[in-house]
Amino acid sequence: MVEDLETRLDAIYEAVLAYEAGRTAELVRRETEHGTSCQQILADALIAAMDEVGDQFAEGRLFVPEMLMAAKAMKAGLEMLRPLLGASDAKPVGTIMIGTVHKDLHDIGKNLVGMMMEGGGLKVIDLGVDVPPDRFLAAAREHRPDVIGLSALLTTTMPNMRKTVEMLRGVGYNGRILVGGAPVNAAFAEAIGADGFAPDAPGAVKLARKFIGAAEA
Amino acid sequence: MRRPGFAYLDDERVEELRRRAIAMLDRHGVVVNHPEAVAKLGAAGCKLDTDGRRVRIPPELTEQAVRLAPRAVSLCGKDERHDLRLPRGDGTFWMRTGTGAHGYIEPDTGDYRKLRLEDVRTIAALSGALSEVGFVAHPFVNDVPEVTADIHGLGTLLAHSVKHVWIQPYGTENIAYLLRLAALAAGGEAELRARPIASCIVCSFTPLEFKAMDVEAVIQCSRFGVPIHACSLPTAGGTAPVTMPGTVLMATAEILAMVVLAHVLGPGTPVIATPLIFCLDMRSGRSLQSSVEALAGASMAVQVMKRGCGLPTHTYGAGSDTPDIDGQSQAERALIAFLVGLAGADVLGGVGQLECATVFSPVQAVIDNEIGAMARSYLRTPAVDDESLAWGDLLQLDPGGNFLATEHTLRHCRTGFAPAAFTRQARDAYDAGGRRDLLAQARDMLAEILRTYPPQPVVDAPTRAEMQRVVTAADAKIAG
Repeated sequence: MVEDLETRLDAIYEAVLAYEAGRTAELVRRETEHGTSCQQILADALIAAMDEVGDQFAEGRLFVPEMLMAAKAMKAGLEMLRPLLGASDAKPVGTIMIGTVHKDLHDIGKNLVGMMMEGGGLKVIDLGVDVPPDRFLAAAREHRPDVIGLSALLTTTMPNMRKTVEMLRGVGYNGRILVGGAPVNAAFAEAIGADGFAPDAPGAVKLARKFIGAAEA
Repeated sequence: MRRPGFAYLDDERVEELRRRAIAMLDRHGVVVNHPEAVAKLGAAGCKLDTDGRRVRIPPELTEQAVRLAPRAVSLCGKDERHDLRLPRGDGTFWMRTGTGAHGYIEPDTGDYRKLRLEDVRTIAALSGALSEVGFVAHPFVNDVPEVTADIHGLGTLLAHSVKHVWIQPYGTENIAYLLRLAALAAGGEAELRARPIASCIVCSFTPLEFKAMDVEAVIQCSRFGVPIHACSLPTAGGTAPVTMPGTVLMATAEILAMVVLAHVLGPGTPVIATPLIFCLDMRSGRSLQSSVEALAGASMAVQVMKRGCGLPTHTYGAGSDTPDIDGQSQAERALIAFLVGLAGADVLGGVGQLECATVFSPVQAVIDNEIGAMARSYLRTPAVDDESLAWGDLLQLDPGGNFLATEHTLRHCRTGFAPAAFTRQARDAYDAGGRRDLLAQARDMLAEILRTYPPQPVVDAPTRAEMQRVVTAADAKIAG
């Protein structure tokens, strides 16, 4: 029996929600052989699944490790598309550059955000941990990201978030800056001149995508 | 005196965790980002990886370090009347105020705001008057240069606390300034060595790594005989296994590694095993200190360190994950105080802290003091003898008689715990008194304490001036 397009895309969607990386990758590979566009696979299966993951997480039905596994499955599917992306009409939703700020070595949250951003269709440039402001600046000049995400776990490194924002703004970086981490809140984000704060990874993805949409408008 | 308690872990499980921690240090090892320390560990018999950071500690060295670690620790106050000894002589515990909070709950309004340097003076004065608080930590101060906030906070605390203080360095370069301040407040380096009025937290960078700052703190503290709180802060499901025994194993291994560090880098330095166990909330990703799993972890870790290794222990014995001084806060901290107290901890930390150790409330600190006093009262197991049984009165008891007017009751009527903040009023009196609940009582008690014991310096003006010069120099050098 030959399955129709909708059924096949649903199967990819369900594979992501079942955290099945291998199956997701295989189904995506097969779908490309059917000639379905990368854009449609991304939008109707992979990103749609991650939107559902984000919603379920927000409702408290999905736990963090489950969200992470779904993001890994999504990424496995995305990897199948990557060789074709350059040749197709599909472009990444946008580019985000992330890192933990200077002197902060705690990267669990940042990594989670990175996974979810990829799951949200963004290209992620991960600068790693303990990133001084000037490295953020140099990387921003090189990669020209739409959004820069700064992470801090320690109260003692939050000031480095402010320094990084100031340095980026000081040289006229006009992309969006998103901040997050356990001690950070919306008031702090506003006080240091960041564009936004999200309390969790799916929230960060939503915000980043909103920013990018706004930037394109 | 032997403390009553409960064996959350039986001896067999305690030994299994101890044995596995020692095996982990041997087979997996730890990463030590301090070349000088790595060289000394190598000379002490550790196996070193070619990367110059990974250190595998042989079981015999760990066993030796644990065996030779001091079994008791003295923490001196600026005022000798506040000297304390761990383990506590009566078999109970001391409490310690919350550290690292960057937020503050205003006592009168209940509003949240950023913590300021003036609050450190309030915390010092309040802690001086709280009977159960043995020593005081400095929070994160927002109205000074960020990179020297520890130096500002400690300087103010040392200048205003009659009790022992807890140093928490924020940077490697800061350590020398912090110890200089402690020496000045103590009256000199020799005086600090003789009477350590400060002790210092040293943390692992979980999993199984040590930053240069913390290793340097071990080295510099050992020069002054300043005790260290060897602190591991694993987060179950994040930096440590999600299953709590695995997280406790992580904490045990990291603390034993710090015992080895102290043994090799500063032999004889007193070490207080300080497991602070967190859980990652799997729904939100937030760190929790008061979940039931974290409580179980703290109980287990304390028992492995104390019963299994014989070390003085320190963990959270107060605190809550809620951001406010609400009902949840009181329930969580009462559970923690009693369970951790029963598990055997020598120091119950976290007095006044909320929102997983990020916020300090002086009103909550007053309540914590009372909860701690209740827990200590509970932990003093009574004798079972003629006097406690009222044996004579019982034998002479008339039918329908009572005990209210006996000599025995008169002798003991004031020995029960008498709460100051908790209310015991009946409805009519409660209504007539304006329905003053625990929080209202605690607020009044705080105001009275600060009226009676307002923040005031405990070191003389020339010393304070010298301490200020150290802070200014640190600002110039570190904060630029």
